[in-house]
Amino acid sequence: MNDYRYDHRTVEGFILSSIFWGVVGILVGLLISVQLWAPAANFPPYLTFGRLRAVHTNGLAFGLGVGAIFGLSFWIVMRLCKRPLLFPKLARAQLWLFNVGILAAAVTLAMGYTQSLEYAELEWPLDIAIVVLWVMFAVNVFGTILKRNEEQMYVSLWYVIATVIAVAVLYLVNNLSMPAGLWKSYPAFAGVNSANVQWWYGHNAVGFVFTTPILAMFYYFLPKSTGLPIWSHRLSIVAFWSLVFAYLWTGAHHLVYTPLPDWIQTLAIVFTLFLIAPSWGSVVNGYYTVGQDWGRMRSNYLTKFFILGITFYGLQTVQGPTQALRVVSQLIHYTDWVPGHVHMGTMGWVTMVTAASIYYVIPKIYGTTIYSEKIANIHFWLVLVGQLLFSITMWITGIRQGWMWKATDADGKLVYRNFIDTVTGNYPYWHTRTLAGIIFTVGMLFFVFNVLMTIRKGRALERERQAATQTPAAVTAA
Amino acid sequence: MAGKIYSKPIAFSVVATLVVLAGTIATMAYPMLRQEMHPKVEGLKPLTALELAGRDIYQREGCVNCHTQTVRPLQSEVVRYKGNRAAEPQGRYSLAGEFAYDHPFLWGSKRTGPDLAFEGWLKPSRDWQASHLENPQALVPRSNMPSYAFLKTARLDAAEVAAHLRALRRLGVPYPDDAGVLALAREVEGKTEMDALVAYVLSLGKAVDRGGKGELEIDLASANPHGHDPAFVARGRQVFDAQGCGACHGDEGHGQEGVAPSLVDDVFLGVKGDMPDAAYFAVIKGGSDVKKQLGRPGVPDGGMQAYGGELSDDDIWAVVAWLRNQQGHEAAEHPHEEGAEHR
Repeated sequence: MNDYRYDHRTVEGFILSSIFWGVVGILVGLLISVQLWAPAANFPPYLTFGRLRAVHTNGLAFGLGVGAIFGLSFWIVMRLCKRPLLFPKLARAQLWLFNVGILAAAVTLAMGYTQSLEYAELEWPLDIAIVVLWVMFAVNVFGTILKRNEEQMYVSLWYVIATVIAVAVLYLVNNLSMPAGLWKSYPAFAGVNSANVQWWYGHNAVGFVFTTPILAMFYYFLPKSTGLPIWSHRLSIVAFWSLVFAYLWTGAHHLVYTPLPDWIQTLAIVFTLFLIAPSWGSVVNGYYTVGQDWGRMRSNYLTKFFILGITFYGLQTVQGPTQALRVVSQLIHYTDWVPGHVHMGTMGWVTMVTAASIYYVIPKIYGTTIYSEKIANIHFWLVLVGQLLFSITMWITGIRQGWMWKATDADGKLVYRNFIDTVTGNYPYWHTRTLAGIIFTVGMLFFVFNVLMTIRKGRALERERQAATQTPAAVTAA
Repeated sequence: MAGKIYSKPIAFSVVATLVVLAGTIATMAYPMLRQEMHPKVEGLKPLTALELAGRDIYQREGCVNCHTQTVRPLQSEVVRYKGNRAAEPQGRYSLAGEFAYDHPFLWGSKRTGPDLAFEGWLKPSRDWQASHLENPQALVPRSNMPSYAFLKTARLDAAEVAAHLRALRRLGVPYPDDAGVLALAREVEGKTEMDALVAYVLSLGKAVDRGGKGELEIDLASANPHGHDPAFVARGRQVFDAQGCGACHGDEGHGQEGVAPSLVDDVFLGVKGDMPDAAYFAVIKGGSDVKKQLGRPGVPDGGMQAYGGELSDDDIWAVVAWLRNQQGHEAAEHPHEEGAEHR
């Protein structure tokens, strides 16, 4: 037995908070998907698409995503360092501040307090709270690693460290602003420069919130749940360094054909193409790891989550560079293709791997098994179908609308002159997207139910064990 | 040897930081030092207090989530947003120097509704913009845009706007000292949020001349060169539809209450009584600015665009011919109405 206690309660707290904000964010997502085809579903001033889109993205990126990253990173750090967190009370305080922060974020965004920078919408008082949160996280991660009881740092720790460092740099620079009131500020940078800083930040928020910490989970929980060692350590080293190097050069691929100087766009496009290599390094490593025994796909219910997750990561990291090419960008940029792309990453890769990691951790906390593998399988198929339907529908309508915008006749005159004619064709696809969202949401509700029932089962078991240890003690005392 | 780094967290973190900073410096920090990242077009002026208040509302309502503000240098896009009316060829699409005072940029990443970068030239009508914000479906029947009617009743606060102007001055936008800022902000007193948002939207793209007036000399004696030839009238109908004139003036030219006047009644430019064909020609070609030259007040809004840059004179005459034809039908259908006889 271990003679120390891992701080399971804080990990569980982050997981439960993350699930809670996840459900809120997904339901808001469903509402805004309806608002796109039914303007009557807007309830001005607070519940309009314009305000709620940020509630959706922030709720899921920071509530579901970062919440799970905090909890699961702590789990990974404690296990790989073979010791509890250095400051368990600090981690508990971080949990509370996190929840207060996300609540304040949701409320202020619905009130219209926004910096208008994507994924950096929150106004300056909340930016300060987020910096404090991140420092608390960093202190525990670095402190625990420095005092670790295991000489070597495993791959997952590299990714956690890179996440802590990169997010700190990104967040601090992009949120520099001049306050003009308690809930109003103007970002320090202007015009093209503002655009360049924002997309350096925006793309790397994807890189260091939706990629590196998820890879940390992937490299830790895939071998743990399958019992198969990572196929190539050398490949994971090469993939790690080239990924964290190349990501930071690519932000301007979001600004193709804008007034940003061409050389910055071109540089970003080139590095974006290169980024396929490190991304696929992890994809190949994942496949070959499970390739040691494909039977685990059947015998271990979590394997398919990881394999499908890394598959969508692989597709995502080929599709992304394709979109960065000027010839493709001019067709699909600003269309629904882009939300289709983003949601393959978030619904297919991030949520798949995070959910599987949570399925692994929650029973471990209580020394029990998952409440129902069958429900986990239903969850898997529903989110898979929901996500595919969502993304494919959006890709089709994105190409359709992009083509209508560009269509000209022999005289160079627009074929679809009225913009609205290119919008109304989206409606059937937007209906389908809402349907896909409902399927995905039902899948996620199965997941939430399964997790909660496992905790309930675990707590009952815990009480039994306590009762069992107390009874003999009482006998001795007597 | 290099393998040792994986057991030395401090060394590892230092190396990781340097690796992350390489691309950061090359693509984000270094460009910031270059002049090309801080250009300014000559015609650019800081937003007025009312326009800035409107921009704050534009941000607050998340307009940027559905409307982009960059016309890309693609032929189809230049045509769609009428960049081809620009006085100088480089003004055909969005220029870096137009955004020098934009803290932050509002280019957006999704075009659910149309791009608004040139909106100040495209739909210069205050009435149209306000009516559209109040009830988008009344003007664009299948639009998915929500109603922003609540902006009509919300009043602006001059002290708040002054604080915003001061903050932007600290960031380098050339606004005057504190007393001057207070004087500027006084402009918003009594104005509504709707006034402000419309003012901001109408300011978009105006730093560069994209008006497309072309050469215009008004000669009221000049006559329609093709007369009322039915083929010419039909061509006028086509041009009217293709240019989307009906979006404001109604599909049959009857006008829309609170948006744009009827073109087939007996009032022309706000005054009862007709004017010769050449006056119609001049207003279509030169837009609202021509009204003064014609000695008539017009509707106070002044929202008529100039079509001189993109329509040939023949096309404009065709529209006039079609309008005359419509007026004839109108008079035949409603013969009792006062003033209809003279047509």
